[in-house]
Amino acid sequence: MTLIPENIILSVDKKNLTLEYPNKSCLFTAEFLRVHSPSAEVQGHSPDQKVTVSGKSNVGISKIELVGNYAIRILYTDAHDTGIYTWQYLHDLSLNKDKLWEDYISELRKKGLKRV
Amino acid sequence: MSIKDLIEEKLKAIVLNDNGKTIPLSYSELVDNIVIANSKVYLSLNANKSEIDKFNLIKSQIERELSTIDGITSVSVSLTSHTINNQSTSQEPSSQKGVSNIKNIIAVASGKGGVGKSTTSINLALSICKLGYKVGLLDADIYGPSIPKLVGDNQKPKISKDGNIMPINKFSLSLMSIGFLISEDTPMIWRGPMVISAVNQMLNDVEWGNLDYLIIDMPPGTGDVQLTIAQRLPMRGAIIVSTPQDLALIDAKKGVEMFKKVNVPILGIIENMSTFVCPNCSHETHIFGHDGARFESLNQSIDFLGDIPLEIELRKSSDVGVPIVCSDSESDISKKFLNIANMLTDKINSSPNNKKPNIVIN
Repeated sequence: MTLIPENIILSVDKKNLTLEYPNKSCLFTAEFLRVHSPSAEVQGHSPDQKVTVSGKSNVGISKIELVGNYAIRILYTDAHDTGIYTWQYLHDLSLNKDKLWEDYISELRKKGLKRV
Repeated sequence: MSIKDLIEEKLKAIVLNDNGKTIPLSYSELVDNIVIANSKVYLSLNANKSEIDKFNLIKSQIERELSTIDGITSVSVSLTSHTINNQSTSQEPSSQKGVSNIKNIIAVASGKGGVGKSTTSINLALSICKLGYKVGLLDADIYGPSIPKLVGDNQKPKISKDGNIMPINKFSLSLMSIGFLISEDTPMIWRGPMVISAVNQMLNDVEWGNLDYLIIDMPPGTGDVQLTIAQRLPMRGAIIVSTPQDLALIDAKKGVEMFKKVNVPILGIIENMSTFVCPNCSHETHIFGHDGARFESLNQSIDFLGDIPLEIELRKSSDVGVPIVCSDSESDISKKFLNIANMLTDKINSSPNNKKPNIVIN
């Protein structure tokens, strides 16, 4: 499966995560991954329950665990640890990174929330 | 001057020739321990295994020199190799427990109950064992454990000195089942989370040690336990057991889908109860239909690993507690199981390990 990254590289300052696929690579900030966590704590159980997570510009990644053959669990420095990122989900994030980030920023503005 | 000082003096006089450099012995960290008791000296040298000849020379030199000291009746020098000792002590506790040292974890599953998963699992495990591999079998069916009955054993597992559960050894297999922990007629009246933690305990708190294969006899269906095992374990693949009957195949397909969802490759399908040959008149009856699982595997481009007929001997051996692969290794069924084991191990040996990303900090 080409969706599985070959390498997952966490920067020393724990703020950036690079996924290296066979034919491309994609850099995510910890903040981006945190606010897009697939956890029910963020996504809710239906689209209208989705939570806009704010104030995470300083968050880091404290640990990454492989989950079976299909996903990783990312643990953050703010103690959020329920997000299981499947290869499919990470790949989708990599394809829509810019659009998702724009949407997130405008969502923050609309709700009067801040990144810091 | 004490005897100890005298010994050190003598040791300092002995020089170790290391690539032209001479190193006084007692300072060179080579003397590991000096014990003096009842005019006897016991001394251990920290030896390097690759330079064993050199150390044997030093050893006799030390023995000669020290025995000249007044008041010493005997000298015994032993060579110890620390690098090796350290490795074995630091690795053992972590490696023996849990599934981290198991090369291939394979689930035997079916969507439906009663298709012969456990009978297939034990005979398959034994057949793989016959090919020369180290094999374990975990009965993950908490509500209806079958393995203790199938191997005719219900002894309680022992607890190691580290507090880990030791697997039951029978027919050269390492076995674990909830059935070894409770009596046969005690039902497990447990809710989901309890079942999950029992399964986790049988995976993580058991000293599986180094195994080539761990076969997991899955409970029927696609529920909590099945999903947890399929999701969390670094699984090499799954084998689906089905009868040729449509009703069973419908559920088998669901099993296949569950594994696909969590990226566990399907290694193949085994058709159980594929046909019945009458022992009196040799007439062959396809009780559950014909070749259903074979066609299904073709449909889904999954390997067909083999078919096991419905035979009275297989049922009898299972109830007596001696799997047919052991009780009658020359029987057709045993040969069929051995064939399946051969196909399976060939497939695993020839295909690269499941791709896993490296997680690094850089």
